[in-house]
Amino acid sequence: MATQHSRAAARVMIAPSVILLLAWMLVPLLMTLYFSFLRYNLLMPGANPFVGFENYTYFLSDPAFQTAIVNTLLLVGGVLVITVVGGIAVATLLDQPMWGTGLVRIMVISPFFVMPTVSALVWKNMFMNPVNGLFAWIADVLGMAAFDFLTQAPLASIIGIVSWQWLPFATLILLTAMQSLDSEQLEAAEMDGASAWARFWHIKLPHLARAITVVVLIQTIFLLSIFAEILVTTNGGPGTASTNLTYLVYAESLLRFDVGTGSAGGVVAIILANIVAIFLMRMIGKNLDA
Amino acid sequence: MGRITLDKVQKSFGDVEVIPPLDLEIEDGEFVVFVGPSGCGKSTLLRLIAGLEDVTGGDITIDGTPATDLPPAKRRLAMVFQSYALYPHMSVRKNIAFPMKMAGIPQDEQARRIDNAARVLNLTDYLDRRPGQLSGGQRQRVAIGRAIVREPAAFLFDEPLSNLDAALRVGMRLEISELHKRLATTMIYVTHDQVEAMTMADKIVVLRAGHIEQVGSPLELYRTPRNLFVAGFIGSPRMNFIDGEDASSRGAHTIGVRPEHLAVSDSDGVWRGTVGVAEHLGSDTFFHVHFDGRDEPITVRATGEVALKHGDTVWLTPDEDRIHRFDQQGLRI
Repeated sequence: MATQHSRAAARVMIAPSVILLLAWMLVPLLMTLYFSFLRYNLLMPGANPFVGFENYTYFLSDPAFQTAIVNTLLLVGGVLVITVVGGIAVATLLDQPMWGTGLVRIMVISPFFVMPTVSALVWKNMFMNPVNGLFAWIADVLGMAAFDFLTQAPLASIIGIVSWQWLPFATLILLTAMQSLDSEQLEAAEMDGASAWARFWHIKLPHLARAITVVVLIQTIFLLSIFAEILVTTNGGPGTASTNLTYLVYAESLLRFDVGTGSAGGVVAIILANIVAIFLMRMIGKNLDA
Repeated sequence: MGRITLDKVQKSFGDVEVIPPLDLEIEDGEFVVFVGPSGCGKSTLLRLIAGLEDVTGGDITIDGTPATDLPPAKRRLAMVFQSYALYPHMSVRKNIAFPMKMAGIPQDEQARRIDNAARVLNLTDYLDRRPGQLSGGQRQRVAIGRAIVREPAAFLFDEPLSNLDAALRVGMRLEISELHKRLATTMIYVTHDQVEAMTMADKIVVLRAGHIEQVGSPLELYRTPRNLFVAGFIGSPRMNFIDGEDASSRGAHTIGVRPEHLAVSDSDGVWRGTVGVAEHLGSDTFFHVHFDGRDEPITVRATGEVALKHGDTVWLTPDEDRIHRFDQQGLRI
């Protein structure tokens, strides 16, 4: 009896927060779904008739959509490769005993503390600017023509900026994983005749597999929705060269005031994120099993 | 072949000298045990021989070749670690094959050696499992298997049994001893457990604070310990030390009597005391006997079952021929 009572009481007690959370999540989702089937443009107030899948057809047949998908995948993939490979490299260096380790570690982590808009602006104005930027100055000193990063290679530049932001995260997780490796295993491998490279390849890297999986999964979630960096640097351009799915949805709904198509784009983005998640779990999820 | 010579080998970490210059000769095929309390430098000494630590001074020679500056892999030594140090992401077969893969030994030769090692160590059924799926004893055997296939000049064991439970430890002790008889390869074994040292060793090296206190066969150490430390360390339960008048009347500063060299009687004897704790093991009985004017009890072993209990008065008589006498500096007279 007592347990039944307390269980019922517990349910009643937690109900408000559960309901609130559910509403918080479900209401916007359902409203997005609902809007995606309406002709709903803020520039044309009045009736919002039900139009079926018209918004979806419009969004999916938009030439910008394909570019956006490709850009999204390139952005996610590029940043993942750079941060994982770079993270392993930096973590390996930081794992070496050296003077001033504590200070160096804090400095390595610091990019993570800078908010995305600020870091993207710093990169845009202080490094990549073709007139005043540091890179332009270096090019000038070397006697070369300045390279206009955000115009000539907008997506690659954004990948660079985002990688710079996320490298600390990857480094931190991989460094902790590296430090949890039993040093006797490395010594055993050394006695077994493994060279430094063989020790890295056969012992350290497999030990890092789980941490790499965590890094890839968490980063993918955040990288699929990169927005601020694009907004403050290239505005998705030139043309649609650096538009990803998130930015396309923003452009539809807030630049063209087309709520219906924007909502349809949001639903497409949710589906795409789920597809990516399923593939990721298939590919590397088994690493998470003990 | 595995003849290892240490010549004035010395090791310091910064300003702290862990091992003062030390000489040691290990003959081919010998089972040598380094024993001592924790922190005595026995593991460091083993790691110096393995090459996992660099010597600060002195020379190590393996089979007549200078090995001081050789990397660990080139010294032809195999080591079994306390934590076994198996590679968790590889199957047992791959674990055992790893050193051969690194040495570039052909596949068929690898397979032959793995089968051989698996047979010797009873691992044939487990070759495709991961280390995480094995029991402590099996992991231990995999670690030994990984050492065997390298066909090393000598095996180094760093407290290999300390992670096993008591029953398994006795079993593995026998297995390692048998393995040594079969392979007839030099083995160096580090332990803090003097029972392991006594049961397995051809030669025991007793270490304290980096110094070699005594080197000898188990029975040599038992019969003629060179000083108080060795006398107290070797033998279980430990030797009783008595100083004062009983010692000076025998021409010594301290005398030592092992528990098994004292006769117990309830009527007459040399020393009269009171039974404190009595431990009845069936085969033996251990008494802790208290004396007036003495803080520590004296431990006595009586064979079989003896019906003395707490508070009884008891008489002890030492076997005069087996009393160990030590001078002021704690050295044997």
